[in-house]
Amino acid sequence: MFFNSFHFAIFLPIVFLLYWFIANKSKNYQNYILILASYYFYSCWDWRFLFLLVFSTLLDYFSAIQIEKSTNPLSRKFWLWLCVSINIGFLGVFKYYNFFATSFSELLQSVGFNSSPLLLKVILPVGISFYTFHGLSYIIDIYFKRIKSEKNFVDYSLFVSYFPLLVAGPIERATHLLPQLKVNREFNFEKAKEGIYQIIWGLVKKVVIADTCANYANAIFDNYNSMNSLSLILGAIYFAFQIYGDFSGYSDIALGTSKLFGIDLLKNFNYPYFSRDIGEFWRKWHISLTTWFRDYLYIPLGGSKGSKWMKVRNTFIIFLVSGFWHGASWTFIAWGFINALYFIPLLLLNRNRKNIDDFSLGFNLESIRTLFNILITFSITCFAWIFFRARSISDAFQYIKRLFENRIFTEQYFSIERYNYEILGLIIIFVLVEWNNRAKIEPISGKYSWLKLGLCLAAILTLGVFSDYKEFIYFQF
Amino acid sequence: MKQFLQFLLKALALLLFVMVLLDVLYTAVYLQSHSRTKIDYLYNSKDKNYDVVFLGSSRVNNHLVPKIFNNNGYKTFNFGMTRSRLEESALMLQLMVERNYKIKNLILQVDLNINTNDHSEAIRSLFMPYLHQSETIRNYYKNIPGYNELRYIPFYRYMHYDTKIGFREMYFSLVHKRTNNLENDGFHPLTKDERPMVAADLSKYYPKKNIGYEQIKTICKKNNINLIAITTPMCMSTINREYFNHIRSIYPEIHNFENAVTDDNYFATCGHMNEKGAIAFTRVIFNAFFKPKSNP
Repeated sequence: MFFNSFHFAIFLPIVFLLYWFIANKSKNYQNYILILASYYFYSCWDWRFLFLLVFSTLLDYFSAIQIEKSTNPLSRKFWLWLCVSINIGFLGVFKYYNFFATSFSELLQSVGFNSSPLLLKVILPVGISFYTFHGLSYIIDIYFKRIKSEKNFVDYSLFVSYFPLLVAGPIERATHLLPQLKVNREFNFEKAKEGIYQIIWGLVKKVVIADTCANYANAIFDNYNSMNSLSLILGAIYFAFQIYGDFSGYSDIALGTSKLFGIDLLKNFNYPYFSRDIGEFWRKWHISLTTWFRDYLYIPLGGSKGSKWMKVRNTFIIFLVSGFWHGASWTFIAWGFINALYFIPLLLLNRNRKNIDDFSLGFNLESIRTLFNILITFSITCFAWIFFRARSISDAFQYIKRLFENRIFTEQYFSIERYNYEILGLIIIFVLVEWNNRAKIEPISGKYSWLKLGLCLAAILTLGVFSDYKEFIYFQF
Repeated sequence: MKQFLQFLLKALALLLFVMVLLDVLYTAVYLQSHSRTKIDYLYNSKDKNYDVVFLGSSRVNNHLVPKIFNNNGYKTFNFGMTRSRLEESALMLQLMVERNYKIKNLILQVDLNINTNDHSEAIRSLFMPYLHQSETIRNYYKNIPGYNELRYIPFYRYMHYDTKIGFREMYFSLVHKRTNNLENDGFHPLTKDERPMVAADLSKYYPKKNIGYEQIKTICKKNNINLIAITTPMCMSTINREYFNHIRSIYPEIHNFENAVTDDNYFATCGHMNEKGAIAFTRVIFNAFFKPKSNP
């Protein structure tokens, strides 16, 4: 069941009505409704993976209690590592086993051994990377005594499996979400209205921006050998907007949906393409994952303390792991590596937290410099996206080689019966709307909200891609 | 909560209003468009007289040259459409009758398209803007899956077929941006030859009784149109050319012309002739069924 499906359009109002009209008397009833809805939501993909979700929930729940109960440090460590190993083990088997087996086999073949890897024929359980990370953050926080363990199993289960965030995040923290699940939620009109606006804007991003850009990006990346330099540059830009529209659109729908139930989720995007350097970009892109890695990997490794070598090492580790988290492919690792290369100079020059303030543009030199920095940051981000999108590392290098060598910058007609430049106008309008509303969560609220809502609905209906359905990209992660 | 439900009702009313408004706007645009596709040309024309009309798929669109007929005194138009199946050809013929066309001869391509009774979504979509206006189109599609949504949900048909009749096509229709679909009296020559040519494989093809073809036969009989059903050439390396012999066992009245042009130089791809081949083939067809009029 996808957020942009008819099934979800039926499911959501039913859950909403049950939640606010039948179960509104107590937080327990509200949580029961949400957990039943969440399990139903998850089973719509494949009911068999419910067992995995329930097992993961039970494991984290009991391990957390054991860690808290134990006074012996060894016992605490045992429960922590048991829980972490099993969680990572599941992730490893389902998501990474085939990658490692194939890579190892290729390595053996390259040194002359005959090897055929034993591969698993399993599909990746949807959302496994996300709910595993939910559980891990919880268990690590318990171990370090940052929070108390949750004794109510229903509340904890809901924390892991809450349907708006179950399949593609945001990756929540127990400190943020659990307290909200411990109290009876009161209906708040303004919050619910904001939720509706955010859902609508998320749909605009998904079906208008992401899916339209996807048609063009696919046409270019799948046939890069016959594309000219202009098309290849546009291909990277289209993919940049595809992945942004897709994932931030998903996050908007998730956050908006959750607001309908009176629950706030962590903000996942903060207009990342308006960043002035790569450090700022990573503070604004997939925030819940970036902060997760910062808190549970980067800081425990020493963070930006210690020698220069340690800082560089930690930066590479966090970016490579972040790339690998996205998928079992060298392309994602390369993408992480390139971002690390972008980030290292800022870190070494102590400029990685230079651009943390809000800014505006005017008619002065400083604004020109800011705009230039934004364009440079966007350009290098697009360059890195080529690796993220390409089917293989060699495809990515061939794409880049052709981009620089072809040097033809003319219009090109694709097999999808569209010219290479056709959606630039749409992208420019989208960028201007986002720019003008970057202080807000979504652009619909405020003055003339009904007019803006009507325009968004018209945009979805007229410019949305409906005949060629596209799944959310991050569902595969 | 009451306030929120009122807000939701207003938002739904706004959605409905936007859908109705867009539906009216799009339909109005398509009703005045007559130069983008053969279907909008057909729908927005009336009382045409033709000595010969060609119908079929790309194997008509790329293969039959009306100019050869016109030069010999026969007013002719090629209504063949790439990707069209016989279901859509039958509807086009019905629309011609509805638009009061007077047609003496219909040359219909019946070869690969009777391998299936399926339809073409791409061509079906082009009829959808006229669903509310044309009883013929409504009656024709009343039993297809999703008909009620297409007919009764405002704007749904434009969303469902967004790649063909969505915003982009509506915009081009609005500004009357011309296509080459109607040039050369509907004939679209292929100019690039695929070399080496890949042999077409008909080993999984088998001709079947075809509903669209039966409908066309009935319409022709009722409206005194002389129906000439033909097969059209494919390159000689086609696998399972026996397929064409089977056609005659199902429909003996179909004239076999798959061997009318055999030289690979006349083919752009194995299944489609180039312009030279189309001219040669049209001459064969003309000579087989027509004689030049003395005063063209």
